[in-house]
Amino acid sequence: MALIALDRLTKQFPGVTALDALSLELEPGVIGLVGSNGAGKSTLLKILLGLLPPTSGSATVMGLDTAREGTRVRELVGYMPEHDALPPDNSATELVAHLAQMSGLPPAAARERTADVLRHVGLFEERYRAIGGYSTGMKQRVKLAQALVHDPRLLLLDEPTNGLDPSGRDEMLALVRRTGTEFGIAVIVASHLLGEIERVCDYLVAIEAGHLLSAAPLATFTGRTGVLAVEVEDGSDALAAALIARGIETRQDGRAVLIGLDGHGPADDAYDIVRDAIVDLGLPLVRLEHRRRSLEDLFRDRPEDEPAVRPS
Amino acid sequence: MTPEPRPAPETSVRDVPSPPQLPTTASSATGSIFDLGYRGYEGPRLGRRHAIYALFVYSLRSAYGIGRSGRAKIVPIGLAILATLPAVISIAVRAFAAQAGAGAEVERIDPIRYDSYYGYVSTIVMLFVAAQAPELLGRDQRYHVLSLYFSRALLRTDYVVAKGAAFATAILILILIPQAVIFVGLVISNTDIVAALGDNVGSIAPVLAVAAAIALLLGSIGLAVSAFTPRRAYATATIMAIFIVPGVVSQIVLRSTTGGLTRYIVLAAPEAVIDGVNAFLFGVKPSSREVVRADLAGELYLVVVIAVVVVLLGALARRYQRIEA
Repeated sequence: MALIALDRLTKQFPGVTALDALSLELEPGVIGLVGSNGAGKSTLLKILLGLLPPTSGSATVMGLDTAREGTRVRELVGYMPEHDALPPDNSATELVAHLAQMSGLPPAAARERTADVLRHVGLFEERYRAIGGYSTGMKQRVKLAQALVHDPRLLLLDEPTNGLDPSGRDEMLALVRRTGTEFGIAVIVASHLLGEIERVCDYLVAIEAGHLLSAAPLATFTGRTGVLAVEVEDGSDALAAALIARGIETRQDGRAVLIGLDGHGPADDAYDIVRDAIVDLGLPLVRLEHRRRSLEDLFRDRPEDEPAVRPS
Repeated sequence: MTPEPRPAPETSVRDVPSPPQLPTTASSATGSIFDLGYRGYEGPRLGRRHAIYALFVYSLRSAYGIGRSGRAKIVPIGLAILATLPAVISIAVRAFAAQAGAGAEVERIDPIRYDSYYGYVSTIVMLFVAAQAPELLGRDQRYHVLSLYFSRALLRTDYVVAKGAAFATAILILILIPQAVIFVGLVISNTDIVAALGDNVGSIAPVLAVAAAIALLLGSIGLAVSAFTPRRAYATATIMAIFIVPGVVSQIVLRSTTGGLTRYIVLAAPEAVIDGVNAFLFGVKPSSREVVRADLAGELYLVVVIAVVVVLLGALARRYQRIEA
C-alpha cells in the first residue's frame, strides 16, 4: 500500500485552481515537495491532513481517505506549519506536553514524550523558559517537536527552514534528514528552496501552478550530465581555441570551459586531450569536474546538457 | 552546489529495533544536536475525546491563570477573591452577632440571602468575562495556535465545545464559591443545624439555575466577541460596552417613558436580564428599578437568555468553521 495516493486531485478556490488533476503514488521515505510560492504546496499538505476538502478527485494517506477519515489521518500525521504558531507566554515544555495530550496521549506519557522530543530537537535548559524569548531557530525546533511528539507515521513539514540563518538551516536540515532515516518516520518537506530539498530528500515531487512537473527519485535529477567543466586561471579563451584545434567542441560559461563528452569517442580520450592542452599552454588548472545536473534544470526551459555546444 | 554522497535510504520498517546508540553529535560546528537515540511511542492513543477533555482542562486552568505566569493570575484570582470576600465577611459578622445575641437585628439590616448576592456577583462576573474571554479565544487566533490544534484529531466544533464548557465552568466556580460560603455559613451559624439544613436545601435548585443562566449569558457574549476580535484590548472594551451601554440606555428610556413597547428595551441590558431571571427563579421582587418598572413576565427573561445563548453559540461555531488556520 502506498503511503500517499493522489487520484486526479483537484482543488479550486474562487478564481484560482490551486491543484489541477494531480495523480501520484508515494512510498515512505524523505520526500521533497518543491515548487515556487503559490505552486500549491501548502494546499496539498492541507488536503493530506484532511483540513481542506478536494474539489474533485481523492487523496489517501496510509489507505485512509483524507476527506472522509481526516480525524484518523491526523492522529497518524505530524504537521509543522509554515508560519509562526507558538503562543509567547508558554514554555516549550508546557506547550508541547499540552499538544501531546491533544494528540491523544495520556498526561504522564505526554510529559515523557515531550522531554524526549525536546531533547531530540536540541532544546535543553531553555525549554522551561517562555517561548516569547526564543530565537527563530529555537521556535522552529519547538514546531518540529510538537509535530513529532505523538510519534507520527508521517511528518508534513511546510518550509521548515523559514527564517533560519545558514547554520540554523544546516541543523534543521540535518534533523529532518535524521528524522526520516533513523526514526523511521516518513517525511514530506515542502520548500521553495531546491538546494535544501537536494540535501535532505530521496525522492522529489515538483509542482508548478498546481500541475505535477515531475515525481522521481532524487538521483534521477542530480545524476551526472555529459558535460565536463574545466576551469583555469586566466587563458580560458586560449584553452578553448586549443581544444577546438584538437577537434573538441567547447562552450564557455563564465570562467569555465564546457566540453560535451558525448559523441567524442571514449570519455577518457577527452580527459587526456584536455590535460595535454592545459599542459601545452602552461595554464594553472583550478577545477576539472564532471558537471552534475542541478534541480534548477527542472524549472528551466532548456536543460544544460542539451547539445548546444558550438565552436566559439 | 554539489550534493554530498549519502547512504542509500534506510527502510522505514518500524518494528526493527534500532541498535543502542552512544550519544553522538550530529551537524555543524556552531551548534550541536545530541542524539540519544529515538524512541517510538507504543502506549495508548486516546483519540479525539481525550483531546476535547485535555483542551477543556487546559482552558479552565488558563482561565484562572494556572500554569501561566504570575501576572496572568492577578486579575482572575483577584476577582474570585473579591467575589467571595463579602460573603465571608457577612457570614462572619452574622456569626459574631448571633453569639452576642443580636442575630435578629443583623439579619434585619444585612440580610445575606442567595438571591441578593447575585446583584453584586454579576458585576464581578462581567469583569471576569471581559478580562478572560479574550484570553481564552483571542490568544489562539492571534498567535495562530489554531493551526496546531486543527492539525490534530480535534474538530473545529470540538474546539468550540471544549472552550465554551471550560469558560462556563470557570464562571460557575466564580459564582458558586461565594454561594457555597453563604450556604455553609447560614447552616453552621444556626443553633439547630439540621433544621437550618432543611431551610436551605430548597434554595439549591434556584441557586444553580441562576448561576447557569449568568454563566451562559455573560460567557457566550464574551466568547462571541472574542472570537471576532482577536486583539485583546478591543475585545475587552467591546464586551464591557455590551454589558454597560444597553443598561444605561434602558434606564434613560424607562425613566422618561412609561408602559408601551418601549419597556421591552430592558431585555437588551444583560444586567437587567440577569436580575429578571434571578427574581423569577427565586420568586422575589427584582432589585433593579428598571426591571420593576418594565413589569415583564418573569419567563420572558429566561426565554431571552436561552435565545441569546443559542444564537451566540451558533455564531461562534460558524466562525470557527470558517476561520483560517
